[in-house]
Amino acid sequence: MITWLALPAWVTGSAMFLAPLAALGAATLVRRAQARSRDTQPWLEAAVAGLTLVPLAVVVAWPAVLLPARAALVAGLSVALLAHDPRDLPQTEVALKIMWVLTAAFALSWAGDALLAMASGSARAREQWPALALALDPYALWSAALSLSLIAGLVLLGGAPFHFWPGDLFHGARAHVAPFVAATLQLAGAAWLLRHLDGIAAFNDAAMLVRSLLTLASAAALAGGAATLGYQTRPERRVGALVSLQGGLVLASLAAAPQREPFADHGGLALWAGHMLLAATGATLLSRFLPATAGPDERASVLFRRHPWSGVAGGYGLLSLAGAPGTPGMYLWLDVAREQPVHRRPGLLFGVMLAWLAAFAVAALEIRRAFGAPDGSPPPGQAVPRSLRTAMWLSSGSLLVLLWVWQSHRGG
Amino acid sequence: MTLPRLRVPPNYAGAACATLGVLLLTLPGLVWAAIGLELVALAFWLWARSLPDRGEQLARWGWLRRPPMALWLAAALFLALPELKLVFAPVASGPAGGPITPPAFMPAPLPVTRDPMLLLRTLASLAVLWAGLELMAALPLSRPFPDLSGPARPVGPWLTAILPVTGFLVLWRQAPVWTAAPLVKEIATLALMFAVVLAALRAFSRRSLTATLRWLVVYDSAMASLLVARDVVHGEVAALLWLGAAGGRLIALAAELRGQAVRRGARLTRFWRFAGWLAGASLAWPLLADAGFSGHQFHPVEYFVLAAPVLLASTLWLNRVVEAPERRAMARREDRAPRVSRLGGAATLLAGPAALVWAWRQGFHVSPVAGAAALLPMLLAGWPLRRLIPEPDASGVLRESAAAGPRDFALSTFRAVTVVERQLAAAIASVARALGAPARDLHSGDAQEYLLFLVGVAVLALLLPLLR
Repeated sequence: MITWLALPAWVTGSAMFLAPLAALGAATLVRRAQARSRDTQPWLEAAVAGLTLVPLAVVVAWPAVLLPARAALVAGLSVALLAHDPRDLPQTEVALKIMWVLTAAFALSWAGDALLAMASGSARAREQWPALALALDPYALWSAALSLSLIAGLVLLGGAPFHFWPGDLFHGARAHVAPFVAATLQLAGAAWLLRHLDGIAAFNDAAMLVRSLLTLASAAALAGGAATLGYQTRPERRVGALVSLQGGLVLASLAAAPQREPFADHGGLALWAGHMLLAATGATLLSRFLPATAGPDERASVLFRRHPWSGVAGGYGLLSLAGAPGTPGMYLWLDVAREQPVHRRPGLLFGVMLAWLAAFAVAALEIRRAFGAPDGSPPPGQAVPRSLRTAMWLSSGSLLVLLWVWQSHRGG
Repeated sequence: MTLPRLRVPPNYAGAACATLGVLLLTLPGLVWAAIGLELVALAFWLWARSLPDRGEQLARWGWLRRPPMALWLAAALFLALPELKLVFAPVASGPAGGPITPPAFMPAPLPVTRDPMLLLRTLASLAVLWAGLELMAALPLSRPFPDLSGPARPVGPWLTAILPVTGFLVLWRQAPVWTAAPLVKEIATLALMFAVVLAALRAFSRRSLTATLRWLVVYDSAMASLLVARDVVHGEVAALLWLGAAGGRLIALAAELRGQAVRRGARLTRFWRFAGWLAGASLAWPLLADAGFSGHQFHPVEYFVLAAPVLLASTLWLNRVVEAPERRAMARREDRAPRVSRLGGAATLLAGPAALVWAWRQGFHVSPVAGAAALLPMLLAGWPLRRLIPEPDASGVLRESAAAGPRDFALSTFRAVTVVERQLAAAIASVARALGAPARDLHSGDAQEYLLFLVGVAVLALLLPLLR
């Protein structure tokens, strides 16, 4: 392994702010490129988007603020962001679908929370487990309550079978909005599960039950995600499927060690969400330039014929989302893979391997398809907007810094 | 941002990628090997997409991403779990018996036990083996590729022959990864022996010399990989033996595309015929001696299964390398006896015996009986069997009516095997598709359906703890 130059401590310490800041910059650039001439109040639209995106970026940089109630609030904010422009029908449809499902999921989970509180006499997770360990309540009651209370976290993480919302989101929402919404919703899901499992080691039966449930959920998320990845017909939905696999990774990490923050060796959930924000930004921008139905022998898209290096920059984000070697995403996949045998969940490692192979293969195929085949025709006259290309460079550059940080951390 | 456009012709870009890829394959690390194979796959993609029939070519060579993926998987396993490197490391079972007697080592545990590390380590070994075998046309999914011409027009027929080269390099340089695992060596031996037989049969059934030579490179690479798998000689010796045999065929194949340079003039043709025969014999001899006579016992099945393709391959080489006709009224001196061809012939001639001497100096030993028996197929190939197979015409192509019986047998055997393999692979793929089809239809996209699905999962979540 190559030992890279050691980074100053302030660089590694401030890495968690890098991703949200860079993603905000990229979102601004994309928003600028997508500004429509018929917008009557463009400044108002931009202000609404900005006022919503900034709090979401703060949450990504500082996930410790995400208590369960705030997680619901953040989810609501994300839905509001999606729904703020009624003229944008695809994005509004996505908002409706996510709201429809999240409302039901939160209702079920809050019902579970209420049952747990009744059974244990406390609404605090850390106090519930010692009370339940006294075995005063029937197994059916607390186990049902515990299972229900986790539902919202599973839906928010977006792993299969709840992988419909990342697909819909990246297909229907605008390119500068979708990565923020996906990152914050998944972060909210991870925080929801972590908060609900706080102190669960005090009640061994509950810990075992949770591990079984999370193992099942993560196996379904990884295997289902891998299986559906190949069936996605549109490039945007493939990005969504890759994002849903990130949710599967969090589930696998929690199944191995329910009380440990996932990716703790790589900056925890903050850097995980930051990485996803950057990688999804690059990948979703790239996907907007890819043909939906072209075969590998057809000519390249406009971006790759006019600005192939910018296409490569966008491709780096896609590859990082898939955990391809040489990208920061690789470290996240390796982290989860390493945890499974250590915490006696070797079966899940096979799920991680299957999902990684599918993700890497699909991402590589997508990039080949993007480059297409030269047919001798001249490049198109109209250039891709400079701000969009800069956004792709910004996201890939930030990913490289993240890679440097993690490589330096590993070398140190 | 607009960067200056680099206009590198695809042929040069592909050649640079392939060359760098093959060089990286000679390094010992798994990651280097994976990058090397990615570069070779990239080279084929660059070549394929620049051709007029790009659709067909891209589909034909798309499988080349599978071997690097297998290597990436193995590399990722070792990166994620560095302790896997120690799983099959020899462990002393007791103290040494003295200053000279080494300690006894415990046998490696079988991967059927419940220790997940053994399974994972075996999986990593199988992934490396998969990569090597697939590139050597030793797996059903890629079996027929040496029949095809490569995707770069001037050197296409030669390009395909570098794939078995990469396969051998993977198996040789990564031998410590895959030969340490129990059962993997046995699987490799079976697959490689099958590949040797099929490659020899296919080489025999092809009428053109270029196609025959491509299959002989596959045969040589599989034979050399068998030397590595069975640990008959040291890896470096096996590599030198392979270099002599397969290198000779590669030079002959390249020369065939550039004016049949190894078959210009009677003397040069005879020289090449002998050099190639000797290199092939040097490669096959230690393997036959070991497979047929290991443990001071005669193993007839192993001996005859290997001796038959060795005999056929030697016969083919001696029979097919015939002097090319001179069509020009006045041939240049350099064309009559090309210097590069002579140098290549000399290297081919010397590599095999030199490798055997090296092996002997390293302690390789063969009993006289085993040595003589192992030499028999190669000697029989020179005479009398060579007389039984009809010679090709002067252009190196076998006539249509020549030896139809044996050739038809070889052809139909090869085709039957590949058809069965392909149908088996198609059946497995269709089962996998059938199992995965529900995943495609999991969601119709209706919001109502999402809610129903959520309720279904919630009910499942309620029931699962009770069923536990």
